Formats: sequence, structure tokens, C-alpha cells
Amino acid sequence: MLFAIPIISQLEAVMRHVLNFFHTNFGLPWAWAIVATTVLVRMILVPLTVKQIHSMQNLQKFAPQMKEIQKKYKQDKQKQNEELMKFYRENNINPAASCLPMLLQLPVFISLYYTLKHFDANFHPGPNENLSFLHFIPNITVGTTQQWGGYVLLVVYVASQMASSLFMAATADKTQRTLFMIMPLFFVFIIARFPAGLVLYWVTTNLWTVGQGLITRRLVAKTPAPVPERRSSRTPPKDDGGSGGNGAAPEAPAPEPAPSATQQPPRQVRRKKKRTSRR
Amino acid sequence: MLRIPATLGVGLVWLYRATFGALFPTTCKYHPSCSEYAVQALHRHGLIRGSLLAGWRLLRCNPWSRGGFDPVR
Repeated sequence: MLFAIPIISQLEAVMRHVLNFFHTNFGLPWAWAIVATTVLVRMILVPLTVKQIHSMQNLQKFAPQMKEIQKKYKQDKQKQNEELMKFYRENNINPAASCLPMLLQLPVFISLYYTLKHFDANFHPGPNENLSFLHFIPNITVGTTQQWGGYVLLVVYVASQMASSLFMAATADKTQRTLFMIMPLFFVFIIARFPAGLVLYWVTTNLWTVGQGLITRRLVAKTPAPVPERRSSRTPPKDDGGSGGNGAAPEAPAPEPAPSATQQPPRQVRRKKKRTSRR
Repeated sequence: MLRIPATLGVGLVWLYRATFGALFPTTCKYHPSCSEYAVQALHRHGLIRGSLLAGWRLLRCNPWSRGGFDPVR
């Protein structure tokens, strides 16, 4: 662990400068400087995460076949995973999740932690320094549970974490999904000791994830709508499917499973065409 | 000789798994997953080569890569 310490102190220095930049140049209070930093980090990561969400939605089309594989190798998890990966290869699927985008957030997180821990020593805040956030957290550098507002923040954290895992936990496996949903309830106890500013970072990044998920979902829901139209014009007998798709597709993501059975083939063809044209 | 530093590395992987990895849930696009791959690589090739292999794997585990079955050699 010793070799990592100079790296951490350098990371901390970078974070200090970024926070200070938002604080002095934009006149933001420290808490909002943290929010701004979070937004900046997530904006940099947008190309990575958008690609991730798109491939996750692409993955959902293959859910029935993947469930079959999971059923087939229920006993042997190892074999199940290997078979799933083979299935990905054969069908040209790019699995949604990947480690790098998430791991890129790790240094940000660590540096913010140390910056907040050493806040007094680095910034020498006076007695009138505004360290509060939205009037309910008096001091973002102090442990979350040492202030009553921290408990509110923790509740918001749990809610936002659950919402974001709904979007980002990119597995079809139901038990894993529920595990991801329950986990924040346990992590609250660890997080409670962290400075409130760090929880603020977390909540912000979760909310960003949710927002991004909602936007990309809507964009994806809109784009396939014209496809069934064209298909139905070519094949007139299937007229009821085309008109139904027009009305339902752009608005609600919920009724997707029903029309997906009829829309599946054209969508697949589209993706494949795109891929070949890229190469 | 190979064992002690490698075990240290494995310990770090477990630390990551218990903390950050659990807090930010994602599933890896490879099999074995990146952290599992790191543990295997450390056991098989020692700290230095193992870490390099694990690092290279992490870089490969990006949204543009294909993913799939990719064991430690």
C-alpha cells in the first residue's frame, strides 16, 4: 500500500485545485463546488457510459435466449458464464458492462475523500466560511452522521443508489439485480462515517446516472419507431402491428415487452447493417 | 518467493471487491471477471507480471471491446 501514497497525495492535490477553481472562479460554496466537480467528471465519462447503456439495451433483446442458457446450466455457474460469453461472441453482442468506466471514478472518489479529510489543513476555513449544503447540512467536511441533515442525505443516497442500479446494473440475472438493489441498505453503515461531502458526490453521481439512463432510454425508444412503419408498408397484411407500434413506441417504455416479439427481427437486422458498414 | 508479494496483490483485489467494487455494482463483460482475472494472474505470474496482465485486462474491459471468455494464460 505504501507505494500508492505519493499517487494519492498527487490526486488529492488535483482535486484540491479543481474544487478551489470552482470555489474562487465561480463563487460557488464548497458543497456546490463538489457538485460541479461531480458533474464535470460525469460529463467527461459521457461517451463511455452512453455506449454502455446502448449496448445494455441491445443486450435486452437477446434476453430470452440468454435465459434459456441460464436455465440449461443452472447448477454450474462457471459453465453458465462461459456459455453466455460464447453466445455473445456468436451473436456479435457487446456485453454492456465494463470495468474501466467505473474504475475511472475510483481515483476521483479517493482524492475527494482525502481532500475533505484534510480540508481544514489545506484551505484554513474561517469561522464564517460557508461549508453548508442547502441549509440542512451544516458542514460537508464533518462525518455524515455527526449532523442531523446527514441522515436525510443518507436516505437520499439509498434512494438514488437504488434508482441508479436499476439503470446501470447490466445483468439479466434477477438475483444479482435484487442484490444490487439491497446492497445500499448495508453500505449506509460504512458510508455514514464518511464526510458528508463525499455522500454528496455519491448522490450527485447517482442522480446523473439516472438522468442519463432516462434520456438514453427515451432516445432509443424513439429511434426504432419508424422501422415497423417501413416494414408494414412493404408487407401490407401486417397492418395492425404497424399502426400499434406508431402510437405506443415513442411514449411509454413500459409496454415494450409486448411489441418486442414482433419488432425483434427488423431491429436485429438494423444493428447488423450498422456494424458491417462501420468496418 | 513468488508467493508473498502476489498474496499482497490478491489482498488488494479483495479489498477493492469488498469496498468500491461492491458500492458501484457492475458486471464485467469478460469471463472470468477483471478482479477474478487479476487474482488468477497474480497467483500464476507473481506480483509484477500479474499486475501488468491485470492492468492490460482492465484497459481492454472498455465499452468498445468485444468481451467474452478470456482466461489467464
